[in-house]
Amino acid sequence: MNSKKTIKSAFESMMYIWGEPLDVKDAADIFNISREDAEKYFLELQQEYEQEGRGIVIRQINKSFQFVTRPENAEYIERLCTPVKIKRLSQSALEVLAIIAYRQPVTKGEIDAIRGVKSDRVIDGLMKKNLVMVTGKSNGIGRPLLYGTTEEFLKNFGFTSIKDLPDIENIESVINVEADSEIVYDDVEKSQISIDEVEYESDGTEKNEE
Amino acid sequence: MSYKVSLQTFEGPFDLLVYLIENAQMSIYDIKIAEITKQYMEYIETMKSMDVLVATEFMVLAATLIDIKSKMLLPRTATIDGTYIDEDPRSELVERLLEYKKYKKGADFLKEQEELMSMVYEKPQEDISAYLEEPDEYLALDIKQFASAFELFLRKKKKEEDVRAHYTRVEREKATIESRMSFIKNKFRSAFTHGLRRLSLKELIPNKKDKYDVVVTFISVLQLMRDKYLNAEQKSTYGEIEIIPGERELEDEQ
Repeated sequence: MNSKKTIKSAFESMMYIWGEPLDVKDAADIFNISREDAEKYFLELQQEYEQEGRGIVIRQINKSFQFVTRPENAEYIERLCTPVKIKRLSQSALEVLAIIAYRQPVTKGEIDAIRGVKSDRVIDGLMKKNLVMVTGKSNGIGRPLLYGTTEEFLKNFGFTSIKDLPDIENIESVINVEADSEIVYDDVEKSQISIDEVEYESDGTEKNEE
Repeated sequence: MSYKVSLQTFEGPFDLLVYLIENAQMSIYDIKIAEITKQYMEYIETMKSMDVLVATEFMVLAATLIDIKSKMLLPRTATIDGTYIDEDPRSELVERLLEYKKYKKGADFLKEQEELMSMVYEKPQEDISAYLEEPDEYLALDIKQFASAFELFLRKKKKEEDVRAHYTRVEREKATIESRMSFIKNKFRSAFTHGLRRLSLKELIPNKKDKYDVVVTFISVLQLMRDKYLNAEQKSTYGEIEIIPGERELEDEQ
């Protein structure tokens, strides 16, 4: 029997080597322990990294864990090297993605009805980015395809699982809370004078006028 | 010189409508349809005058708005089972707008999340094949076993060479359409002597497993049908094809 300490230490090494999200099942099988135990150990590790404020954090995506950098350090990584910036999604892509994320499994027809516009091309684009996928066929007339989100979606938007999405009915309050918590990042940005900051302030005054 | 006019783009008719309502500081539950319809139509006119292709979806909502506007002028009561019910022609539109606004907020939230996550970097999986590859297997053989295995290999090779030296590979002569035609005619002649006047296509193929043979027979039969020696019948789709004598006698050689 391996001690909990050994297993946790091994999980850490395995995550380091694997790079990609490491499946709890794979990790559990190596030690012949239950998935629940393995997941518990991963979560403990995650907490330890968090408490110590390490530059590496452990991110959970469904039933897998991965080492990623701490968001506060983004600026320094970007100064060290120039990581490839992923192109942001367009407004229409975000709209369709939100509908799919909240309503999944959902048909193209339902998406079109909510938006009042055809969404074919937007859905194709999201499929190409591997953010959504076909999850099955509806039993409705013509058996239309059903769409759902992928693990890539969870990863790119920082969700542990789809249950992590805030309730759509009171999403407004969630957005406000997030805006408040961004003050923490403000301090980091103030240490550097840049054009970004000027833009930031002009945004702020606009808000005040409203 | 041309002017560049910046026109706020909208993702769709609902996007535009929501914007107009919010801009007019109207309650979504009490939309002043006449006013909003006017503004909406004005916007579409602007789009047209600037040569922007107005999507049909925008026109559909314009029609809906006008429809609601006209209904607002009529008395808004309906009777269901004898009781009067106040009906607001706007209610369906309001419901759809609220639904749309909800997901628009959802999109805003996702945008913020995306922003936040762009600060997080992951390391792409490196080439870990060095850890994955099977380690070399060492042969646990002594020299005698190894020698006998080699000898066996040599003997096998020699035997194979002997066989090669004595035999050459021959190609079977492929049947021609002419030869197959006379083969089919002969088949029919012998069938006639047995009092049979009908053969299935299958019986005319000597080697049913050979695709080439099947094709040759098929083409030959078609040729014979064209020359009116034979006729074919098929009772059902994918059914047995039966060949029967045609107008000309088989012996009749042009």
